[in-house]
Parts: sequence; C-alpha cells; structure tokens
Amino acid sequence: MSNEVSGSDDAALGRRLNSELPRYTAPAHLRASVVQATDRPARRPGWLVPLIAASATAMALVLFMLPYLPRIEPTDPIQQVVRAVVNEHSRVLMWDARQPKIIPGDLPWLSQETGIDLRRAFVGDDRLTLVSAEPVYLTRQRGLAVHYRDVDGHLVTYIMLPAERTFTMNERDRVAIAGRWRPMLKRDAGFVTWVWKQGDVACFLVSDMVSQDDLERFKDYFVRVRVATEPTIAY
Amino acid sequence: MADTDFQRQALQHLNALYNFAVYLTRNPPEADDLVQETYLRAFRFSHRFEPGTHLRAWLFQILRNTFLTFYRLRERETAIAEDGVPDWDVPMFHDTSTDEGRALEAHTDLERAMRRLPEEFRTVLLLAEVEGLPLEEVARVMACPVGTVKSRIFRAKERLRGMLKDYETK
Repeated sequence: MSNEVSGSDDAALGRRLNSELPRYTAPAHLRASVVQATDRPARRPGWLVPLIAASATAMALVLFMLPYLPRIEPTDPIQQVVRAVVNEHSRVLMWDARQPKIIPGDLPWLSQETGIDLRRAFVGDDRLTLVSAEPVYLTRQRGLAVHYRDVDGHLVTYIMLPAERTFTMNERDRVAIAGRWRPMLKRDAGFVTWVWKQGDVACFLVSDMVSQDDLERFKDYFVRVRVATEPTIAY
Repeated sequence: MADTDFQRQALQHLNALYNFAVYLTRNPPEADDLVQETYLRAFRFSHRFEPGTHLRAWLFQILRNTFLTFYRLRERETAIAEDGVPDWDVPMFHDTSTDEGRALEAHTDLERAMRRLPEEFRTVLLLAEVEGLPLEEVARVMACPVGTVKSRIFRAKERLRGMLKDYETK
C-alpha cells in the first residue's frame, strides 16, 4: 500500500516538475552568437595547402636522394680518424668483436696481423675488465683494438694505429691529466675519445662516458690504460 | 567544421540546453558561456556523433561534461582559497562583472528545492522528468548504469519531497 502511495507520489512529483518548474529560454543574443560561430569560415590561409604539399614533396625527395648526397667529411685528419674509431666502437657495441682474442695469450698472432706490438698490456683490474682484443682496419691502416667493460657496464675501446705524418696533436683540445699527460679530448656522435701519441703509435680510448661525472672516471681509465700499456710498431 | 544539416538539427535543442545550463550553473551569463562552449565542442567533434542515435542526449552529455570540467576546476581553485569558503557566484568561464554574475533568484519552492539538490540528483530529474529523456539516454549522459539512474531519481524525489515539506511548514 505504502509502495503504491509512494509510486503515485513519485509520478505526481514528476508531473509537477514537468509543469511547474520554470523553463528558461535561450536569449536571442545567445542564438545569434552560436549561429555566428557555426558560420565562421575555416581560418586556413590559401597558401597553406600548397606550402605543405611542396614541403612534403621536398622532404620525400631528400629522403630518396639521401644515400647519393655528398657527405661532409671533417677536414681535420685527426677528427677523421676519431670518426672511424668511434664507428668501430659503435659496431662492437652493437655486434661485439668479430675475431675476439685474449691477451696476453694471443699477442703473437695479434702482433703479426696488426703490425702493432704490445710490450706491456693492460689486462684489466678492479674497475675495468678485459673483454677481447682484435685486429681492425681503419682509415686504410691496420691496427689493434682492445675492448674493456667497466663495472657500470660502459664499453671502453682502446685502439692503436700507426701514427701518420699528418697526425699532429693540436694544443686547443688537450686536457691535463694527473699533471703528467696531456691527451686530446675529442667528441663525435655522442662519444668521447682520448687521443694521444705514444712513440709512433696513435692511441685512441673511446667510450660513451660524456657527462661531467663520467668524464672524470674516463680520465682515470685513461691513466690506467696509459700507464700499463706500451705499444710499438712491430715491423 | 560540421555540416549544415547537423548544425541545423543541433540548434533545434538550444532552448533545452540553455534551460539545463541555467539549472546547472544557477547563473544566466555562465549558462550562456556553457551553451556556447557546448556547441563549439559539438561542431568540432560532430564526426564522432553516431547518426541514428539521440542527438539531444549527446548534446546534454557534452554540456554536462563541460560543466563538470569547469566546475571541478573552480572547486579546486576555491579549495585553495585563503578563507576556505567556496564562493558559488564565482564565474566559471571568465571574469564577469558583479552585476552580470549575480546568481539567479528562485521564484518557487520547487525551484528553490531543485537548486539545493546535489548535481547528480538535479541532473537526473531535469533530464528524465523535465526533458523526458528515456532512462537509457539519461544513463548515457551521466555515464552510469540504468539502475543507478533509477535509484538516483528515487532518492532525488525523496529529498525533494522532504525539502518541499520543510518549506510548507515554515
């Protein structure tokens, strides 16, 4: 019974809401402004579509021609070698060494293949672990690459090549380390490289340790490698 | 830009939308802005409207969502006000002058009671009883199950009756 009363009350209240609640009519200015907003033409300048089409065509052409476009090579001979060294480091980062050898065990073979002799070699310590060593061929020269991995997982590549006559160390890029050495610091493609000359051998130590903190550690790695390694031209 | 036919059909619901907006905002200038914003959004997203479905319900849904977006924004702003007292006459969309922004006065007990209802209850009554939308459409506008709509209508009416009784005794 009470449900029936409640139901009829509900229906009555519904009817009351429908009939007694004041209805507000949209003012004329609102209708006008809404209509005006709908009639507003699209604000697209006439030159925009041809411009976008032309840009897209040009971009497609550039992408298509990219492999055939002349490449800008660095004019600095050292920078050219650094680029090749960095490319080799990147290759090893992605696909590891092609002919991994262990030093000092494989030193005679490596020396014969590369023309670089290691009288002494850094074989790793508490910070750097020796990964492998292998012959490389960079900028039309045979050389020797030794790969290390540090405790944080950074790959550090040490590459030795015969120093050409054009290989001259400029003062501008040199950095003093431990008051004893002054290698050059070169940056290329997001990698940093220590470059120095040891006798007739051009030496490169590459890593991706580019941040300021990393660079301090990378200096330390340079010292460890530099002190314990003595490369010479074998023949 | 929406096509002309869609615009013409949408404009047929202007009065219903404005009425709903006035009850939501309790402020005619705010209702103006809310309706304009609703139409702008509806025309911008007209491609999302499924032909054959209830256009009026879709417009109500946009209006309510727009209202809730700005309402929540305003609530957040008033929540961090220094005095901590919410000022319901603060305009939602822009700075309105004091005279323009004056809240609408209620003329009848029924209207006064409706304004005191929480938004969920006010909306279900307006959509279901005043606009006559089917419960399924109300549920779509409010993004809740039909059962919830029924329960809200029941509770809203219960509250409304209580308030009306209070007004009568006073």
